Amino acid sequence: MTKKNHEYQGLLIVIEGTDGSGKSTQIELLKRYVEDLSYGTLISEWKTSTLIAKAIDEAKDRNLLNATTFSLLYAADFADRLENTIIPALKAGFVCLLDRYTYTAYARDVVRGHDYEWVKKLYDYAPKPDAVFYLDLPVETLLKRIIGTTGLDYWESGRDIGFSKDFYKSFQIYQTKILEEYEKMKNEYNFITIDGNQSKDIIHSKIVSHMESTFFNS
Amino acid sequence: MRLLTPHEYPGTLICVEGIDGSGKSTQITMLRDWLKSKNVDVIHTEWNSSNLICKTTKMAKKKNLLSPRTYSLLHAVDFADRLEQIIKPALKAGFVVLADRYVYTAFARDAARGVDKNWVRNMYSFAIRPDMTLYFHIDADISLNRICYNRTPKFYEAGMDMKLADDPFKSYKIFQTYVNDEYLKMVDEFDLIKIDAKKSIHEKQVYFRELVVSMLKNKGIIID
Repeated sequence: MTKKNHEYQGLLIVIEGTDGSGKSTQIELLKRYVEDLSYGTLISEWKTSTLIAKAIDEAKDRNLLNATTFSLLYAADFADRLENTIIPALKAGFVCLLDRYTYTAYARDVVRGHDYEWVKKLYDYAPKPDAVFYLDLPVETLLKRIIGTTGLDYWESGRDIGFSKDFYKSFQIYQTKILEEYEKMKNEYNFITIDGNQSKDIIHSKIVSHMESTFFNS
Repeated sequence: MRLLTPHEYPGTLICVEGIDGSGKSTQITMLRDWLKSKNVDVIHTEWNSSNLICKTTKMAKKKNLLSPRTYSLLHAVDFADRLEQIIKPALKAGFVVLADRYVYTAFARDAARGVDKNWVRNMYSFAIRPDMTLYFHIDADISLNRICYNRTPKFYEAGMDMKLADDPFKSYKIFQTYVNDEYLKMVDEFDLIKIDAKKSIHEKQVYFRELVVSMLKNKGIIID
């Protein structure tokens, strides 16, 4: 494996995108591809730390969070996973596949009114990923996908922010703002943008071709 | 940073700081009861006591699950929750808010644990600047004698996560001395009023009340 953005032996690969953009499907496909190359893999998803994930779910269920506690709880979840799971795996030479990374926090926290610099500083100790694949979807497609699968969720609709009393409208405004934040980050963080409207096999083959040419070409 | 500029709420925020055993909780409780007896609207809030997260933090501490960074973040969650739920509404309503520990506790402890100072200060930059903060200074060995005369210091209060010493009593002294050093550095940076905690409870309370009376007087609140 070549070309690394950090001091560790392994690779740090991120898939970003809004809800319903197909991230977890792609992570699963990518995992199989990497394992076929005889590398160990680790998948780590947003908000899954043993320390804090349950507390976040409970607080969300009871609508207890404000913009700052929302932000800090996710930051705690991230720090716990990074220190206890991701960095040890990177040190051991694993290919770490991350379903969302700091960019998710930047987008969500900024839309909730936090200063971008404040959020960035909160995560400034995180290692720089070796690649960030961004699954780009227009808001209309997103809306249909989410309504057709999980349905609208309070927080995914940004209802805590109070954009609109109408559930659908609130979701639309919130997700549009999130997409705008991702749009701004594309250049700053060298996102590899992939059109999320394509079939999952085509998206996978694009990810693989980047992985091959960048990390596994020798 | 809001911590460096005076707030514009009608209420008053008074904080006490210092390592365990410095007598700060006794002092602020006495002050609270006295202010109440003078019909001042007063509330009292303690470090790590928010409904949102303090149970999670306490459980994680018991199981030694916290790194310096997650320790720092969880305490920031607790503080942010109490700031929005308790402190700010009370300040808006004109109360005297008494905080037993404030952000300086985090600044001192997290720095003593080796977390980057600027990172911690940035994280807490949403905090409100108190009208007055008293720092009760006491040496770590006196603190240890007061707190742990009949028990062993707990894992995190002894800074056992820092691997400073195998013996928790020894570790406590080293770690709490680091915490005190950080407090001392903040006396000028944040205008903390340093109090010699070895003085008697009565002496300290008399002085504390004098400070509070004259500050409230400047804000147009007369206590007789």
